[in-house]
Amino acid sequence: MSTSLIWWSVAIYLAIAVVIAFISRDGKSAESMSGYFLGGRQMNGILSALSYSATTYSAFMMVGLAGLTYKGGVGALGFEIVYFAGVSLVAIFGPRFWSVGKKFGYVTPSEMLGHRYQSKAVSVTAALASCLFLIPYAAVQLTGVGYLMSGMTDGAISFSTAVLLATVMALFFCYIAGIRSVVWTDSLQAVMMIVVSTLVALLVISELGGFDGLFTTLEQNNANSLSVPGSGLFSFWTFLGLTIPWFFFSLSNPQVSQRLFMPSSLKSLRQMLMGFLVFGLIYTLVSVMWGFSAIVAFPDLAKADMATPALLASDMVPPVLAVIVMIGIMAAAISTIDSIMLTLSSMVSRDVYAVVKPEASEKQQLNVGKIVIPVIAVMAYVFAKLQLSLIAVLSVAASSGLVVVVPAMIGAFFWRKGTAAGALASMLGSGLLVIVIYATGGKLLGFSAGIWGLPVATLLFVGVSLLTKAPKQVADDFIEQANSTSMSKKSQSASASKPAVV
Amino acid sequence: MKSNPWIWAVWALVILSYVVPFTMLDKVQSWHGSFLYWTVTGVLVVVANLLLTKDFGEDEA
Repeated sequence: MSTSLIWWSVAIYLAIAVVIAFISRDGKSAESMSGYFLGGRQMNGILSALSYSATTYSAFMMVGLAGLTYKGGVGALGFEIVYFAGVSLVAIFGPRFWSVGKKFGYVTPSEMLGHRYQSKAVSVTAALASCLFLIPYAAVQLTGVGYLMSGMTDGAISFSTAVLLATVMALFFCYIAGIRSVVWTDSLQAVMMIVVSTLVALLVISELGGFDGLFTTLEQNNANSLSVPGSGLFSFWTFLGLTIPWFFFSLSNPQVSQRLFMPSSLKSLRQMLMGFLVFGLIYTLVSVMWGFSAIVAFPDLAKADMATPALLASDMVPPVLAVIVMIGIMAAAISTIDSIMLTLSSMVSRDVYAVVKPEASEKQQLNVGKIVIPVIAVMAYVFAKLQLSLIAVLSVAASSGLVVVVPAMIGAFFWRKGTAAGALASMLGSGLLVIVIYATGGKLLGFSAGIWGLPVATLLFVGVSLLTKAPKQVADDFIEQANSTSMSKKSQSASASKPAVV
Repeated sequence: MKSNPWIWAVWALVILSYVVPFTMLDKVQSWHGSFLYWTVTGVLVVVANLLLTKDFGEDEA
């Protein structure tokens, strides 16, 4: 494939995205924290759905999940479907986040936890834990772009160039208009991702003898890939360890849970959820079919993550289409990274800077947020340059770490006896445990960090909370507000009131 | 907000996503084994969410 074709395609894509980003600008709303980071809580459902999809689904899907299917077979589909079912948590928590966000003026999920448990330490800890685990997660997205572009051009575009390009683009999309430019460019990227990847998947499958032909070949030559544990990668315990953190992704990952503050109405929230689910199911099946196609077409690849690049570089896919898919995958990575950068910078400015300097105005907080964005970008870039191995496993390492906020998050809405000490013990204790497990070979007593994280976090949260005194009044107010979006026809005036006071 | 019974359908689908492929379908090495099972589960999750959220938006001012 010619390098100039790739560069021209990247340039055209970039030009369109930049135009869309500029069109999305709205001078007024980008001047406040909730304007810049939440779009003034006025996001419509369809844009939210596309952006939620593009943020959630990253280079992991078409590179990592296809690679995981190539390596471990159909278990990769099961893993992704369990995650997919976990997004139903949005149906439970979405209206509650939305309601308390409007009432108390939260900008970040960690700010919400800090207010609910009446502890600045809780919001600072949740924010820093998110940075600790999400920057490596952003880095694996960059790695995905690097693998893809260098793989497809046989190294003519180097890994480093590709990673740098993706970092700069993500930074750019954040800067133009904050979340507004991110949501609009995300939407463009989501449409590209789903249309071209589905189109090319259908093309490749037809080249390999259609659905029947593909599965007949798999049944004859790689029967293990069609069941679990199959070839052995997806033993039950590995499957459980991979899936538990991902099941809670929609709550544990702030770049998506923050989205629950943004819709303009509950109807928009519903559109966001349903739109995402339809998108997600199609994209999951397409990514898994890519992996299966690669097993049949290239049974002897040295590295599973090269399954997609190998397919795209093959004769089965016309070069122009292959380049468009490559751009689609790059777009998937960038749309995830820019949202992570934006969310983390909002957390650093709102939950760390504003705590250290309580007299800071909204404008000062926003300025700090804008300074933090490139710092996070540089850190993700450095991690990506380390070229760590299998992308899927690394992403899961991040999810295992982020899942430690889940008990405190659930407790905030459903357990009045939860306390700041419980939340802190839970996040710090289990966060530390996850890091130690990864640092010492990935297993403790034979079980992975993904299995240990959540039960330990839950035990610590409940145990320590029972020994300490809960902030009763705030808990009552918070839970009452969260539950106020009842199914009754009663009208509700949710006003964007003053910022939360911890 | 009262709980919606459809959420139990989602939890059941999740549990069965672990149980069925690892016990009943572990010997079925064909597209109509775990592949079909998990695909159908995905569709049912979409349907369950449609029912779970059907009242969203009725209470807004």
